[in-house]
Amino acid sequence: METQLVLEKWPGVISAVSIGALKDEGGSRSSVVKIGGQTTMPLLFKDGNIPHKPKIAFEIWDIAPLDFDEELTSAYGKAINDPFTWAEICVKDYKAELLCLKMQGTHPDFGDKTPQEAAKFVSTLLNRFKTPLIIIGSGDDAKDNLIMPACSEAAKGERCLIGCAVQENYKTLVASALADGHNIIAESPIDINIAKQLNILISDMGFNLERIVVNPTIGALGYGLEYAYSIMERARLAALSGDKTLASPFICFVGQEAWRTKEAKANPQQGIMWETLTAASLIQSGADLLVMRHPKAVEKVKNHIETLFKK
Amino acid sequence: MEKYKVKFIPDNLTVSVEKDKTILAAAISAGIYINSNCGGDGICGRCKVMVQHGQVNSQPNGIITAQERKENIYLACLTTVHSDLDVLIPDSSRINFDKLTPEELEERLSGLYSKAEDVLTVKPKFDDKVFKHSPFATKIYLELPAPTLNDSISDLERLYRALRKFGEFPVIETGLFNIRQLGELLRDYDWKVTVTLGRRDEIVEIVLIEPGDTTGRNFGLCFDIGTTTISGQLVNLNSKKILGTKAAYNQQAAFGSDVITRIVYAAKSDGLEKLHNAVSDTMNQIIKDLVSAHKVDLNNVNCIVCSGNTTMVHLFLNMDPSHIRRQPYVPTANFIPVLRAAEAGININPRGLLNCVPGVSSYVGGDTTAGILSSGIYQKEDPCILIDIGTNGEIVLGNRDFLVACAASAGPAFEGIDLLSEMLKAGIIDRAGKIKAQGKRIRSTDNGKEFVICFKEEIQAQADIVINEADIENLKRSKGAIYSACSILVKHLNLEFTDIHKIFIAGGFGTYLDIEKAIGIGLLPDLPRSKFIFIGNSSLAGAREVLLSSQAKSMADALALKITYFELSVNPGYMEEYSQALFFPHTDLTKFPTVRF
Repeated sequence: METQLVLEKWPGVISAVSIGALKDEGGSRSSVVKIGGQTTMPLLFKDGNIPHKPKIAFEIWDIAPLDFDEELTSAYGKAINDPFTWAEICVKDYKAELLCLKMQGTHPDFGDKTPQEAAKFVSTLLNRFKTPLIIIGSGDDAKDNLIMPACSEAAKGERCLIGCAVQENYKTLVASALADGHNIIAESPIDINIAKQLNILISDMGFNLERIVVNPTIGALGYGLEYAYSIMERARLAALSGDKTLASPFICFVGQEAWRTKEAKANPQQGIMWETLTAASLIQSGADLLVMRHPKAVEKVKNHIETLFKK
Repeated sequence: MEKYKVKFIPDNLTVSVEKDKTILAAAISAGIYINSNCGGDGICGRCKVMVQHGQVNSQPNGIITAQERKENIYLACLTTVHSDLDVLIPDSSRINFDKLTPEELEERLSGLYSKAEDVLTVKPKFDDKVFKHSPFATKIYLELPAPTLNDSISDLERLYRALRKFGEFPVIETGLFNIRQLGELLRDYDWKVTVTLGRRDEIVEIVLIEPGDTTGRNFGLCFDIGTTTISGQLVNLNSKKILGTKAAYNQQAAFGSDVITRIVYAAKSDGLEKLHNAVSDTMNQIIKDLVSAHKVDLNNVNCIVCSGNTTMVHLFLNMDPSHIRRQPYVPTANFIPVLRAAEAGININPRGLLNCVPGVSSYVGGDTTAGILSSGIYQKEDPCILIDIGTNGEIVLGNRDFLVACAASAGPAFEGIDLLSEMLKAGIIDRAGKIKAQGKRIRSTDNGKEFVICFKEEIQAQADIVINEADIENLKRSKGAIYSACSILVKHLNLEFTDIHKIFIAGGFGTYLDIEKAIGIGLLPDLPRSKFIFIGNSSLAGAREVLLSSQAKSMADALALKITYFELSVNPGYMEEYSQALFFPHTDLTKFPTVRF
């Protein structure tokens, strides 16, 4: 006798977010990356519709990275000292669908670049590469409020994903994203309530809820991954049950977390596996967008996604 | 030990203190109360004083700025006396107990603590189960037959025999003081005396024997001993009429603004004594004012009933409160036997009696029991909620079958509800309580942004009136604590808010609370507005019922045993509920369907 699958039908749907705008959409990207739009819990293909696979963005910086592990640096060779060559390797050699640019060089302690310099960097990058782009600030609230509007304006019309808005500091970023037609990352500290509150605050400013991507903040494997996992799972259950204020796709900064662990630093192969396994676990909990660092880890995760989505 | 003279300006009061005493301690011994929310730990920065002359030794701290240091401004609690001093205490560092005229204070507090008459008029009629009038102290006039050879029982038994004609008194007790003077008194006044009977549960005590008929002069007091405010009422025990109500700030405020800081202070040397004196001084002042305003002789005030939270009762009775704060949070006593008021330092008739309404646990005290008694929720068929919104919030959910109570410490922050609600509506702050607007009334400070409500020029004041993000955060936490406590209690009993028949709002802000705004910020659940009833100071009202009726006293004792204490801190869902409530009105907007901004 054939076993009957118990199927669950949910009333809610996760927002579908498009990153990158083609020429006819007012941008200059060569492709558009789409995430979200699912009507079921992760990978339960029979229960509902999962229109898009999880996507991977290569993390690059606007300056030579300072605290990258040797294994990470050597993966890109000397190229890592020049952001444009670094980006080129990601796009040409590793076929990056999406780049995640971290404006670390604008941080007061790491270069303190001016808003003009930052804007110039962004427009050069957009000119040289036609890949859709994620732009995130350095994490210094005051400085981000100066440079992010400039970066946003430089990328006007390109429908980037910009971030990260946090509960203490979201207004400037939201205003910029509204003005320049970008999507926004809303970051909360592994807290489902703050995630929801921040989405409400952002939408109170007139920003479309369906253009928010939530960064739930994650911990790497062995470093609190299970907290992130359960927060994501709870948010997803609430969203599918009909809570629109939580129905955002997730972006997870896997690379930065995995390569912070002492296990990753202890042994190069272990580092790659740490990043791979962290990403693989987060796909199970509903990650839509993974920001990763090591090309080998990206390759493994891509293969893994293909296997998972093989019909 | 060297002693120095410290002169306080502009009071021009000089006290002599030992070297190395703090300026704060010196001020208290001079009877000047300086703000000290943290209880003298150098944290709150409210006790700034200017040393105009003399040597001091000050501990470094992050509160005094370089500029202030240049102006010889110090924290009174961290600065010790090293020579004769002249100290200026600015108005901003004072607790102005006496700054207001009595009328002004009365007016300010009348809103905070509504008058008993008001409480009575808004008090809902339940089953009209009125307690029988049988006051804590009763006066009975006796004309005894003089003894003869045929009727030769002793004087005391003669007195008892006559008394028993007035009621069933299984046990009558008399102190030696009264027995000693009995024989002479009876004979001198032709066997005509008035006996004051005090009730100690089943036992009655002959409190006082007076010559002649004084039954017309029988008065009692009831008190609500709050953390921030103490209010008292003078009651005619014969007519049940309230002669007057008076409230004053609890002078303990000089030792910290919440119960925990005060418990910590009590552990310091002489700390408990000082806290005890502060509360009894406040009460004696209220009593003095009440009796003189209503021309009552202190000797005719025969009894007093107090209700207060457990810590306040401990401090009032000079009992060590330290274990209230320590796990497993055990008070010295919940049920206090009837005492002589003089033992607690209360100045009424020297033989007058004192009763404290029994408490439930360390954090649900006699004020809650009294609130349940006076609100009558213990008689209702459908579940009701009683919320006592004060410095220590208490919430009771129950009906005639069960009563569950929990404590939700809210802090002294609710004055801002109206303002906050309007700021939300006007878009000055966002739902997380952060100031989002810009303009000349918004300023950035070291403590985050602040909003200027009134520039000093607009109101001819010395300083601008502002509210800053930290204030808003405080209020957000307070309202979150109250709402989430209600929510957890309701859930714990497998109920929904919609099952709640009535919500009684008692205490602190009672009459000033705007229901619409309180719901708008998420302090109270979004229920039909007709479900909310304000009952004013329910603790005081309950104490008065106990004062006027022994039945009410028995009921209060029974209630205190019946109430189940629910400890929120060990409830796994509480933190979740609480963090959901830290948003205006709530993270889950569907819980507040009628709220729109």
